[in-house]
Amino acid sequence: MIKVFNKNRIITFFSTLLLIITWKVVSLIYQSEFILPSPESTLISTFKIILSEKFFPAIGLTVLRGIIGLAASFILGVGLGILAGTNETFNAFLKPILVTIRSTPVISLILLALIWFNVDMVPIFIAFLTMFPFICTNVIDGIRNVDKELVQMAKTYRISHSRIVREVYLPAITPFVFSGASSAMGFGWRAIIIGEVLSQPQFGIGTFMQSAQTFLLVNEVIAWTVIAVIISYIFEVIIRKIEQHIVVWN
Amino acid sequence: MLLEIRNLNKSYQDISLFENFNIEIKENTISCILGPSGCGKTTLLNIINGTINADSVELKGFENKVISYIFQEPRLLPWKTVKENISFVLNDTENKQGIIDRYIRLVDLEKFADYYPSKLSGGMKQRVSIARAFAYPSDIILMDEPLKALDYKLKFNLIKAFKRIWQFDKRTVVFVTHDIDEALLLGNEIFVFSKAPVSIKDKFSLMSSSSDVTLENPDMIDLKKKILTIMD
Repeated sequence: MIKVFNKNRIITFFSTLLLIITWKVVSLIYQSEFILPSPESTLISTFKIILSEKFFPAIGLTVLRGIIGLAASFILGVGLGILAGTNETFNAFLKPILVTIRSTPVISLILLALIWFNVDMVPIFIAFLTMFPFICTNVIDGIRNVDKELVQMAKTYRISHSRIVREVYLPAITPFVFSGASSAMGFGWRAIIIGEVLSQPQFGIGTFMQSAQTFLLVNEVIAWTVIAVIISYIFEVIIRKIEQHIVVWN
Repeated sequence: MLLEIRNLNKSYQDISLFENFNIEIKENTISCILGPSGCGKTTLLNIINGTINADSVELKGFENKVISYIFQEPRLLPWKTVKENISFVLNDTENKQGIIDRYIRLVDLEKFADYYPSKLSGGMKQRVSIARAFAYPSDIILMDEPLKALDYKLKFNLIKAFKRIWQFDKRTVVFVTHDIDEALLLGNEIFVFSKAPVSIKDKFSLMSSSSDVTLENPDMIDLKKKILTIMD
Protein backbone atom coordinates (compact mmCIF):
# COMPACT_ATOMS: atom_id res chain seq x y z
CA MET A 1 0.00 0.00 0.00
CA ILE A 2 2.70 2.45 1.00
CA LYS A 3 4.61 1.63 -2.16
CA VAL A 4 1.61 2.32 -4.39
CA PHE A 5 0.98 5.55 -2.52
CA ASN A 6 4.57 6.72 -3.08
CA LYS A 7 4.46 5.75 -6.72
CA ASN A 8 1.31 7.81 -7.21
CA ARG A 9 2.94 10.76 -5.51
CA ILE A 10 5.90 10.58 -7.88
CA ILE A 11 3.57 10.45 -10.89
CA THR A 12 1.62 13.44 -9.55
CA PHE A 13 4.87 15.33 -9.12
CA PHE A 14 5.98 14.63 -12.70
CA SER A 15 2.66 15.55 -14.25
CA THR A 16 2.71 18.87 -12.36
CA LEU A 17 6.29 19.45 -13.44
CA LEU A 18 5.40 18.74 -17.07
CA LEU A 19 2.56 21.27 -16.87
CA ILE A 20 4.91 23.97 -15.55
CA ILE A 21 7.61 23.18 -18.14
CA THR A 22 5.07 23.40 -20.97
CA TRP A 23 3.88 26.72 -19.55
CA LYS A 24 7.48 28.01 -19.39
CA VAL A 25 8.24 26.91 -22.97
CA VAL A 26 5.08 28.52 -24.37
CA SER A 27 5.82 31.76 -22.49
CA LEU A 28 9.35 31.75 -23.95
CA ILE A 29 7.91 31.36 -27.45
CA TYR A 30 5.51 34.31 -27.06
CA GLN A 31 7.90 36.49 -25.06
CA SER A 32 5.04 38.70 -23.88
CA GLU A 33 3.77 39.35 -20.37
CA PHE A 34 0.46 40.45 -21.92
CA ILE A 35 -0.22 37.10 -23.53
CA LEU A 36 1.36 34.52 -21.28
CA PRO A 37 3.61 35.55 -18.40
CA SER A 38 6.30 33.14 -17.24
CA PRO A 39 5.66 30.83 -14.27
CA GLU A 40 8.18 32.82 -12.16
CA SER A 41 6.54 36.17 -12.70
CA THR A 42 3.17 34.58 -11.96
CA LEU A 43 4.55 33.14 -8.75
CA ILE A 44 5.84 36.58 -7.79
CA SER A 45 2.48 38.20 -8.48
CA THR A 46 0.79 35.41 -6.50
CA PHE A 47 2.91 36.31 -3.48
CA LYS A 48 2.29 40.02 -4.07
CA ILE A 49 -1.44 39.34 -4.04
CA ILE A 50 -1.20 37.23 -0.91
CA LEU A 51 0.67 40.03 0.85
CA SER A 52 -1.68 42.75 -0.40
CA GLU A 53 -4.44 44.06 1.86
CA LYS A 54 -7.21 43.02 -0.54
CA PHE A 55 -6.23 39.33 -0.31
CA PHE A 56 -7.98 38.36 2.92
CA PRO A 57 -11.25 40.20 2.24
CA ALA A 58 -11.28 38.67 -1.26
CA ILE A 59 -10.74 35.03 -0.33
CA GLY A 60 -12.66 35.43 2.93
CA LEU A 61 -15.78 36.61 1.14
CA THR A 62 -15.46 34.12 -1.71
CA VAL A 63 -15.07 31.29 0.78
CA LEU A 64 -17.97 32.62 2.85
CA ARG A 65 -20.17 32.66 -0.26
CA GLY A 66 -19.10 29.09 -0.97
CA ILE A 67 -19.90 27.94 2.54
CA ILE A 68 -23.30 29.64 2.58
CA GLY A 69 -24.11 28.13 -0.84
CA LEU A 70 -22.96 24.69 0.24
CA ALA A 71 -24.80 24.83 3.57
CA ALA A 72 -28.05 25.83 1.86
CA SER A 73 -27.65 23.16 -0.85
CA PHE A 74 -26.70 20.61 1.76
CA ILE A 75 -29.69 21.21 4.03
CA LEU A 76 -32.23 21.42 1.20
CA GLY A 77 -30.55 18.69 -0.87
CA VAL A 78 -30.47 16.15 1.95
CA GLY A 79 -33.96 17.04 3.20
CA LEU A 80 -35.70 17.00 -0.18
CA GLY A 81 -33.56 14.05 -1.30
CA ILE A 82 -34.75 11.91 1.60
CA LEU A 83 -38.36 12.87 0.89
CA ALA A 84 -38.03 12.10 -2.81
CA GLY A 85 -36.10 8.89 -2.18
CA THR A 86 -38.73 7.49 0.15
CA ASN A 87 -41.81 8.88 -1.58
CA GLU A 88 -42.45 8.17 -5.28
CA THR A 89 -45.04 10.92 -5.66
CA PHE A 90 -42.70 13.58 -4.35
CA ASN A 91 -39.90 12.21 -6.53
CA ALA A 92 -42.08 12.56 -9.62
CA PHE A 93 -42.77 16.15 -8.57
CA LEU A 94 -39.13 17.03 -7.86
CA LYS A 95 -37.49 15.32 -10.82
CA PRO A 96 -38.42 17.82 -13.56
CA ILE A 97 -37.34 20.70 -11.31
CA LEU A 98 -33.92 19.12 -10.75
CA VAL A 99 -33.50 18.34 -14.46
CA THR A 100 -34.40 21.91 -15.40
CA ILE A 101 -31.94 23.44 -12.93
CA ARG A 102 -29.18 21.08 -14.01
CA SER A 103 -29.58 21.69 -17.71
CA THR A 104 -29.95 25.48 -17.55
CA PRO A 105 -26.69 27.15 -18.65
CA VAL A 106 -24.96 28.82 -15.71
CA ILE A 107 -24.70 32.06 -17.66
CA SER A 108 -28.51 32.29 -18.06
CA LEU A 109 -28.87 31.92 -14.32
CA ILE A 110 -26.30 34.64 -13.72
CA LEU A 111 -27.91 37.06 -16.17
CA LEU A 112 -31.27 36.57 -14.47
CA ALA A 113 -29.76 36.74 -11.00
CA LEU A 114 -28.09 40.07 -11.92
CA ILE A 115 -31.54 41.46 -12.60
CA TRP A 116 -33.22 39.92 -9.56
CA PHE A 117 -30.70 40.23 -6.72
CA ASN A 118 -28.14 42.61 -5.27
CA VAL A 119 -24.50 41.96 -6.21
CA ASP A 120 -23.59 40.09 -3.02
CA MET A 121 -26.42 37.63 -3.42
CA VAL A 122 -25.73 36.72 -7.06
CA PRO A 123 -22.72 34.39 -6.49
CA ILE A 124 -24.45 32.66 -3.57
CA PHE A 125 -27.59 32.13 -5.60
CA ILE A 126 -25.58 30.68 -8.49
CA ALA A 127 -23.55 28.48 -6.17
CA PHE A 128 -26.74 27.16 -4.62
CA LEU A 129 -28.33 26.36 -7.97
CA THR A 130 -25.21 24.53 -9.16
CA MET A 131 -24.65 22.51 -5.99
CA PHE A 132 -28.18 21.72 -4.85
CA PRO A 133 -29.16 19.35 -7.71
CA PHE A 134 -25.92 17.38 -7.27
CA ILE A 135 -26.43 16.75 -3.60
CA CYS A 136 -30.13 16.10 -3.98
CA THR A 137 -29.66 13.58 -6.81
CA ASN A 138 -26.95 11.77 -4.87
CA VAL A 139 -29.16 11.51 -1.81
CA ILE A 140 -32.02 10.10 -3.92
CA ASP A 141 -29.64 7.54 -5.46
CA GLY A 142 -28.32 6.73 -2.00
CA ILE A 143 -31.80 6.06 -0.64
CA ARG A 144 -32.56 3.85 -3.64
CA ASN A 145 -29.42 1.87 -2.83
CA VAL A 146 -30.31 1.27 0.79
CA ASP A 147 -30.35 -2.46 1.41
CA LYS A 148 -34.05 -3.40 1.40
CA GLU A 149 -33.25 -6.45 3.51
CA LEU A 150 -31.99 -4.24 6.34
CA VAL A 151 -35.19 -2.22 6.19
CA GLN A 152 -37.22 -5.42 6.29
CA MET A 153 -35.18 -6.62 9.28
CA ALA A 154 -35.89 -3.37 11.10
CA LYS A 155 -39.60 -3.66 10.33
CA THR A 156 -39.67 -7.28 11.54
CA TYR A 157 -38.24 -6.08 14.84
CA ARG A 158 -40.94 -3.38 14.90
CA ILE A 159 -38.58 -0.42 14.81
CA SER A 160 -40.45 2.87 14.41
CA HIS A 161 -40.41 4.68 11.08
CA SER A 162 -38.48 7.64 12.48
CA ARG A 163 -35.78 5.37 13.90
CA ILE A 164 -35.54 3.52 10.57
CA VAL A 165 -34.94 6.87 8.85
CA ARG A 166 -32.36 7.97 11.43
CA GLU A 167 -30.53 4.71 12.02
CA VAL A 168 -30.89 2.84 8.73
CA TYR A 169 -31.43 5.35 5.90
CA LEU A 170 -29.26 8.24 7.12
CA PRO A 171 -26.07 6.25 7.78
CA ALA A 172 -26.59 4.34 4.53
CA ILE A 173 -26.69 7.51 2.45
CA THR A 174 -23.79 9.24 4.22
CA PRO A 175 -21.13 8.12 1.69
CA PHE A 176 -23.41 9.30 -1.14
CA VAL A 177 -23.91 12.68 0.55
CA PHE A 178 -20.17 13.17 0.81
CA SER A 179 -19.38 12.21 -2.76
CA GLY A 180 -22.23 14.51 -3.84
CA ALA A 181 -20.91 17.37 -1.71
CA SER A 182 -17.39 16.88 -2.97
CA SER A 183 -18.27 17.00 -6.68
CA ALA A 184 -20.80 19.78 -6.04
CA MET A 185 -18.11 21.87 -4.37
CA GLY A 186 -15.89 21.53 -7.46
CA PHE A 187 -18.59 23.00 -9.67
CA GLY A 188 -19.67 25.40 -6.94
CA TRP A 189 -16.36 27.30 -6.81
CA ARG A 190 -16.34 27.84 -10.54
CA ALA A 191 -19.91 29.12 -10.42
CA ILE A 192 -19.16 31.48 -7.54
CA ILE A 193 -16.17 32.98 -9.32
CA ILE A 194 -18.09 33.44 -12.57
CA GLY A 195 -20.82 35.06 -10.51
CA GLU A 196 -18.30 37.42 -8.90
CA VAL A 197 -16.73 38.32 -12.25
CA LEU A 198 -20.08 39.36 -13.64
CA SER A 199 -21.76 40.87 -10.58
CA GLN A 200 -18.66 42.63 -9.20
CA PRO A 201 -19.26 42.63 -5.46
CA GLN A 202 -16.81 44.82 -3.53
CA PHE A 203 -14.52 41.93 -2.59
CA GLY A 204 -14.10 38.50 -4.12
CA ILE A 205 -11.64 36.48 -6.17
CA GLY A 206 -13.77 36.96 -9.28
CA THR A 207 -13.98 40.74 -8.71
CA PHE A 208 -10.20 41.11 -8.70
CA MET A 209 -9.77 38.67 -11.57
CA GLN A 210 -12.04 40.84 -13.65
CA SER A 211 -10.18 44.07 -12.79
CA ALA A 212 -6.82 42.39 -13.53
CA GLN A 213 -8.15 41.29 -16.90
CA THR A 214 -9.36 44.81 -17.67
CA PHE A 215 -5.80 46.11 -17.16
CA LEU A 216 -4.32 43.16 -19.12
CA LEU A 217 -2.50 41.94 -16.02
CA VAL A 218 -2.43 38.35 -17.24
CA ASN A 219 -0.05 37.25 -14.48
CA GLU A 220 -2.54 38.47 -11.87
CA VAL A 221 -5.41 36.67 -13.58
CA ILE A 222 -3.42 33.45 -13.44
CA ALA A 223 -2.30 34.16 -9.87
CA TRP A 224 -5.92 34.49 -8.70
CA THR A 225 -6.70 31.30 -10.61
CA VAL A 226 -3.96 29.44 -8.77
CA ILE A 227 -5.36 30.73 -5.47
CA ALA A 228 -8.85 29.56 -6.47
CA VAL A 229 -7.52 26.12 -7.36
CA ILE A 230 -5.76 25.84 -4.00
CA ILE A 231 -8.91 26.85 -2.10
CA SER A 232 -10.95 24.30 -4.02
CA TYR A 233 -8.36 21.63 -3.25
CA ILE A 234 -8.29 22.50 0.46
CA PHE A 235 -12.07 22.14 0.64
CA GLU A 236 -11.95 18.80 -1.13
CA VAL A 237 -9.43 17.57 1.45
CA ILE A 238 -11.55 18.91 4.32
CA ILE A 239 -14.67 17.16 3.01
CA ARG A 240 -12.74 13.91 2.65
CA LYS A 241 -11.34 14.21 6.17
CA ILE A 242 -14.80 14.80 7.61
CA GLU A 243 -16.05 11.76 5.72
CA GLN A 244 -13.27 9.56 7.12
CA HIS A 245 -14.15 10.84 10.55
CA ILE A 246 -17.84 9.98 10.20
CA VAL A 247 -17.78 6.83 8.06
CA VAL A 248 -15.71 4.73 10.46
CA TRP A 249 -17.42 1.40 9.92
CA ASN A 250 -15.76 0.24 6.71
CA MET B 1 -49.89 -25.03 24.20
CA LEU B 2 -50.18 -25.23 20.44
CA LEU B 3 -49.82 -22.70 17.68
CA GLU B 4 -52.15 -23.65 14.86
CA ILE B 5 -52.28 -22.70 11.23
CA ARG B 6 -55.55 -23.83 9.65
CA ASN B 7 -56.80 -23.86 6.09
CA LEU B 8 -53.93 -21.88 4.68
CA ASN B 9 -54.29 -20.94 1.03
CA LYS B 10 -51.68 -19.03 -0.87
CA SER B 11 -50.83 -18.92 -4.54
CA TYR B 12 -48.53 -16.83 -6.70
CA GLN B 13 -49.97 -16.21 -10.15
CA ASP B 14 -50.77 -19.75 -11.31
CA ILE B 15 -48.61 -21.60 -8.81
CA SER B 16 -50.44 -22.80 -5.78
CA LEU B 17 -48.09 -23.09 -2.78
CA PHE B 18 -50.60 -23.96 -0.08
CA GLU B 19 -54.04 -25.52 -0.50
CA ASN B 20 -56.02 -26.01 2.71
CA PHE B 21 -52.76 -26.54 4.52
CA ASN B 22 -52.74 -27.26 8.27
CA ILE B 23 -49.89 -27.40 10.76
CA GLU B 24 -49.64 -27.45 14.53
CA ILE B 25 -46.53 -26.13 16.20
CA LYS B 26 -45.75 -26.92 19.82
CA GLU B 27 -44.77 -24.01 21.98
CA ASN B 28 -41.35 -23.97 23.62
CA THR B 29 -39.94 -26.54 21.25
CA ILE B 30 -37.78 -26.33 18.16
CA SER B 31 -39.81 -27.33 15.13
CA CYS B 32 -37.84 -27.96 11.97
CA ILE B 33 -39.47 -27.69 8.61
CA LEU B 34 -37.57 -29.79 6.14
CA GLY B 35 -38.43 -29.53 2.49
CA PRO B 36 -37.11 -29.07 -1.03
CA SER B 37 -36.08 -25.61 -2.22
CA GLY B 38 -38.92 -23.49 -3.49
CA CYS B 39 -41.65 -25.42 -1.69
CA GLY B 40 -42.85 -22.32 0.17
CA LYS B 41 -41.02 -22.70 3.47
CA THR B 42 -39.94 -19.07 3.54
CA THR B 43 -43.44 -18.02 2.51
CA LEU B 44 -44.83 -19.88 5.51
CA LEU B 45 -42.48 -17.99 7.84
CA ASN B 46 -43.42 -14.70 6.25
CA ILE B 47 -47.10 -15.47 6.67
CA ILE B 48 -46.51 -16.20 10.37
CA ASN B 49 -44.49 -13.01 10.59
CA GLY B 50 -47.17 -10.98 8.82
CA THR B 51 -44.91 -9.67 6.04
CA ILE B 52 -46.85 -11.68 3.44
CA ASN B 53 -50.61 -11.93 3.38
CA ALA B 54 -52.16 -15.33 2.82
CA ASP B 55 -55.12 -15.66 0.46
CA SER B 56 -56.94 -17.12 3.44
CA VAL B 57 -55.81 -18.52 6.77
CA GLU B 58 -56.85 -19.05 10.38
CA LEU B 59 -54.10 -18.49 12.88
CA LYS B 60 -54.64 -19.72 16.42
CA GLY B 61 -52.39 -18.92 19.34
CA PHE B 62 -50.42 -16.29 17.45
CA GLU B 63 -52.36 -13.39 18.93
CA ASN B 64 -50.12 -10.82 20.61
CA LYS B 65 -47.09 -12.99 20.03
CA VAL B 66 -43.84 -11.11 19.51
CA ILE B 67 -41.61 -12.55 16.83
CA SER B 68 -37.90 -12.36 16.17
CA TYR B 69 -36.38 -13.51 12.94
CA ILE B 70 -33.02 -15.00 12.02
CA PHE B 71 -32.57 -14.47 8.31
CA GLN B 72 -30.55 -16.36 5.76
CA GLU B 73 -28.07 -13.47 5.78
CA PRO B 74 -27.04 -11.91 9.11
CA ARG B 75 -28.62 -8.54 8.17
CA LEU B 76 -26.55 -6.48 10.59
CA LEU B 77 -26.34 -2.72 10.24
CA PRO B 78 -22.80 -2.08 8.93
CA TRP B 79 -22.56 1.24 10.82
CA LYS B 80 -23.31 -0.27 14.20
CA THR B 81 -21.01 -2.37 16.34
CA VAL B 82 -21.98 -5.82 17.60
CA LYS B 83 -23.31 -4.25 20.79
CA GLU B 84 -25.17 -1.49 18.97
CA ASN B 85 -26.73 -3.94 16.53
CA ILE B 86 -28.30 -5.83 19.41
CA SER B 87 -29.20 -2.63 21.22
CA PHE B 88 -30.94 -1.44 18.02
CA VAL B 89 -33.83 -3.90 18.43
CA LEU B 90 -34.28 -3.38 22.18
CA ASN B 91 -36.47 -0.84 23.91
CA ASP B 92 -34.90 1.37 26.54
CA THR B 93 -35.35 -0.66 29.68
CA GLU B 94 -33.16 -0.31 32.75
CA ASN B 95 -31.55 -3.67 32.21
CA LYS B 96 -30.82 -3.15 28.51
CA GLN B 97 -27.06 -3.23 28.92
CA GLY B 98 -27.25 -6.39 31.01
CA ILE B 99 -29.34 -8.17 28.37
CA ILE B 100 -26.96 -7.17 25.60
CA ASP B 101 -23.89 -8.34 27.53
CA ARG B 102 -25.55 -11.61 28.47
CA TYR B 103 -26.38 -12.64 24.93
CA ILE B 104 -23.04 -11.48 23.56
CA ARG B 105 -21.45 -13.75 26.17
CA LEU B 106 -23.72 -16.65 25.22
CA VAL B 107 -22.57 -16.49 21.59
CA ASP B 108 -18.95 -16.09 22.69
CA LEU B 109 -18.36 -12.66 21.25
CA GLU B 110 -17.34 -10.63 24.33
CA LYS B 111 -14.03 -9.74 22.74
CA PHE B 112 -15.77 -8.47 19.63
CA ALA B 113 -18.57 -6.48 21.27
CA ASP B 114 -17.22 -3.19 19.91
CA TYR B 115 -16.32 -4.46 16.44
CA TYR B 116 -18.11 -3.38 13.29
CA PRO B 117 -19.61 -6.23 11.20
CA SER B 118 -17.09 -5.66 8.38
CA LYS B 119 -14.39 -6.91 10.75
CA LEU B 120 -16.24 -10.16 11.59
CA SER B 121 -16.33 -13.50 9.77
CA GLY B 122 -19.56 -14.89 8.32
CA GLY B 123 -20.06 -17.26 11.24
CA MET B 124 -19.51 -14.51 13.80
CA LYS B 125 -22.00 -12.25 12.06
CA GLN B 126 -24.61 -15.00 12.12
CA ARG B 127 -23.92 -15.46 15.84
CA VAL B 128 -24.67 -11.77 16.36
CA SER B 129 -27.92 -12.27 14.48
CA ILE B 130 -28.77 -15.20 16.80
CA ALA B 131 -27.93 -13.09 19.87
CA ARG B 132 -30.11 -10.30 18.51
CA ALA B 133 -33.06 -12.68 18.03
CA PHE B 134 -32.77 -13.99 21.60
CA ALA B 135 -32.12 -10.59 23.17
CA TYR B 136 -35.34 -9.32 21.60
CA PRO B 137 -38.17 -10.14 24.02
CA SER B 138 -39.98 -12.44 21.61
CA ASP B 139 -42.22 -15.45 22.06
CA ILE B 140 -41.39 -17.03 18.73
CA ILE B 141 -38.12 -17.17 16.81
CA LEU B 142 -38.39 -17.80 13.08
CA MET B 143 -35.26 -19.06 11.33
CA ASP B 144 -34.94 -19.12 7.58
CA GLU B 145 -31.98 -21.33 6.65
CA PRO B 146 -29.54 -19.19 8.63
CA LEU B 147 -26.75 -21.76 8.23
CA LYS B 148 -26.99 -22.05 4.46
CA ALA B 149 -23.96 -19.95 3.57
CA LEU B 150 -21.63 -21.45 6.17
CA ASP B 151 -19.17 -24.32 5.93
CA TYR B 152 -19.68 -27.60 7.75
CA LYS B 153 -17.60 -26.93 10.84
CA LEU B 154 -19.05 -23.48 11.42
CA LYS B 155 -22.52 -24.90 10.98
CA PHE B 156 -22.00 -27.39 13.81
CA ASN B 157 -20.47 -24.78 16.09
CA LEU B 158 -23.39 -22.50 15.45
CA ILE B 159 -25.94 -25.24 16.09
CA LYS B 160 -24.19 -25.94 19.39
CA ALA B 161 -24.19 -22.27 20.30
CA PHE B 162 -27.86 -22.02 19.41
CA LYS B 163 -28.82 -25.06 21.49
CA ARG B 164 -26.81 -23.79 24.44
CA ILE B 165 -28.76 -20.54 24.48
CA TRP B 166 -32.01 -22.34 23.91
CA GLN B 167 -31.44 -24.54 26.99
CA PHE B 168 -31.56 -21.38 29.10
CA ASP B 169 -34.31 -19.77 27.21
CA LYS B 170 -36.77 -22.20 25.64
CA ARG B 171 -38.65 -20.14 23.11
CA THR B 172 -40.86 -21.47 20.36
CA VAL B 173 -38.59 -21.89 17.37
CA VAL B 174 -39.61 -22.55 13.79
CA PHE B 175 -36.55 -23.49 11.80
CA VAL B 176 -36.73 -23.89 8.06
CA THR B 177 -34.08 -25.86 6.15
CA HIS B 178 -33.47 -28.23 3.27
CA ASP B 179 -30.54 -29.89 5.09
CA ILE B 180 -31.43 -33.13 6.94
CA ASP B 181 -28.41 -32.97 9.24
CA GLU B 182 -29.34 -29.51 10.45
CA ALA B 183 -32.88 -30.66 11.16
CA LEU B 184 -31.69 -33.76 13.04
CA LEU B 185 -29.20 -31.83 15.13
CA LEU B 186 -31.48 -28.98 16.03
CA GLY B 187 -35.06 -30.15 15.96
CA ASN B 188 -37.35 -31.49 18.65
CA GLU B 189 -39.92 -32.03 15.95
CA ILE B 190 -39.25 -32.47 12.28
CA PHE B 191 -41.92 -31.83 9.65
CA VAL B 192 -41.09 -33.16 6.20
CA PHE B 193 -42.75 -31.00 3.53
CA SER B 194 -43.59 -32.08 -0.01
CA LYS B 195 -43.18 -29.99 -3.14
CA ALA B 196 -45.82 -27.32 -3.78
CA PRO B 197 -48.75 -27.45 -3.15
CA VAL B 198 -47.33 -28.31 0.24
CA SER B 199 -48.48 -31.21 2.35
CA ILE B 200 -46.81 -32.63 5.44
CA LYS B 201 -45.39 -35.95 4.31
CA ASP B 202 -44.39 -37.06 7.76
CA LYS B 203 -43.59 -35.80 11.23
CA PHE B 204 -40.94 -37.03 13.67
CA SER B 205 -40.34 -36.26 17.32
CA LEU B 206 -36.86 -36.42 18.75
CA MET B 207 -36.51 -37.11 22.43
CA SER B 208 -33.14 -35.63 23.12
CA SER B 209 -32.99 -31.91 23.39
CA SER B 210 -29.51 -31.62 24.82
CA SER B 211 -26.75 -29.81 23.01
CA ASP B 212 -24.66 -32.96 22.46
CA VAL B 213 -26.75 -34.73 19.86
CA THR B 214 -24.56 -36.56 17.38
CA LEU B 215 -25.34 -37.87 13.97
CA GLU B 216 -23.22 -41.00 14.55
CA ASN B 217 -25.77 -42.46 16.95
CA PRO B 218 -27.43 -45.57 15.31
CA ASP B 219 -30.96 -44.25 15.96
CA MET B 220 -30.03 -41.08 14.17
CA ILE B 221 -28.62 -42.95 11.19
CA ASP B 222 -31.85 -44.95 10.93
CA LEU B 223 -33.95 -41.83 11.19
CA LYS B 224 -31.88 -40.08 8.56
CA LYS B 225 -32.34 -43.02 6.15
CA LYS B 226 -36.07 -42.98 6.81
CA ILE B 227 -36.36 -39.25 6.13
CA LEU B 228 -34.25 -39.55 2.99
CA THR B 229 -36.63 -42.18 1.57
CA ILE B 230 -39.62 -40.00 2.37
CA MET B 231 -38.07 -36.94 0.78
CA ASP B 232 -37.35 -38.69 -2.54
